[in-house]
Amino acid sequence: MNDKNPVEAYAILDEIVERQQTWPIMTKRYGVENPLPPWKTSLDGLCDALDRSCDTAPLTFKERRDEEDELSASLYTNLPYPENQLVSLAHSLLMRGVIDETELRKRLAVIRARLEA
Amino acid sequence: MSNSDHDHDHDHDHPHKPMVDEITDFEVLEIALRELCIEKGLFTADEHRVFTEYAEQIGPTPAARLVAKAWLDPEFKKLAQTDAIAASKAVGVDWLDPTGFGAPSDFVAFKILEDTPTLHHVIVCALCSCYPRPILGNSPEWYRTPNYRRRIVRWPRQVLSEFGLQLSEGVEVRVEDSNQKHRFMVMPMRPSGTEGWTEDQLAEIITRDCLIGVALPKPGVTNNVTPLVRPAIRGVTA
Repeated sequence: MNDKNPVEAYAILDEIVERQQTWPIMTKRYGVENPLPPWKTSLDGLCDALDRSCDTAPLTFKERRDEEDELSASLYTNLPYPENQLVSLAHSLLMRGVIDETELRKRLAVIRARLEA
Repeated sequence: MSNSDHDHDHDHDHPHKPMVDEITDFEVLEIALRELCIEKGLFTADEHRVFTEYAEQIGPTPAARLVAKAWLDPEFKKLAQTDAIAASKAVGVDWLDPTGFGAPSDFVAFKILEDTPTLHHVIVCALCSCYPRPILGNSPEWYRTPNYRRRIVRWPRQVLSEFGLQLSEGVEVRVEDSNQKHRFMVMPMRPSGTEGWTEDQLAEIITRDCLIGVALPKPGVTNNVTPLVRPAIRGVTA
């Protein structure tokens, strides 16, 4: 496990935060009324699936929630919910070395290209 | 707007709801995390799909229905008090198999807390954000905040008043702390002015907030309160 300080920043996540494509901004820009972004239930599914795989999961339910609270009140204080939940989860997975920053950056580019094709 | 440039007979003039027409970094990040976790064997795509479908379909309707039934039927009310799991089944919620693919690991017990003229309940999870999801759906944002979790335990009347709920001194406030093994929901008292109402009418005023205990049902009120969610104040370190 990576012993990085929980509040130490990751450039890739900081870049996402800085671009500010948060749901409240999107709803205002496009006149949409849904209170939550469309990816929220998939994030719920992701968190539930992670919590359930406690034999293999790198973090427990409580660790995940504690870190979400900690990070949402520190590094990601400018993000609304559930963006702060998502970015905190990414942070926790990076911190534990489950994923690394380079592979995440590559994957983000591949997925964006796929969605914009 | 003319839609006569192609040859079919359906109407293109109906209003379309606006949509977000850009791909956000957050949408991309959610997919990336999910794909990487699946590739690393933390869970399967099928498991994720089942949990996501579950998250899509849960909500507070079964809990409202349960309370409305209990208000109308004394026998059902007794069942709700003595065997909340069986009462939940009667409104379509199976606590022992809520996702339909095996018992989840995060709870084993469910209890319904009945309010009386001298006792008011409110639920919290001081440790994290445990919530009776199978019957109440996903928790609201404020329920997850450290601010609510910490303060409702210490100063329940003050926090309830922030939701617009003022209780008289003669009413005891009991804060029930949920945990990974125990989940709770509140059964508020039936308000006056609802005499002769049907189950459907009653269920409409039993909002999510009433079932958490931060509001009381009231004829004409079918929406939840959106309190001012204050950020947690962090201690200053030297």
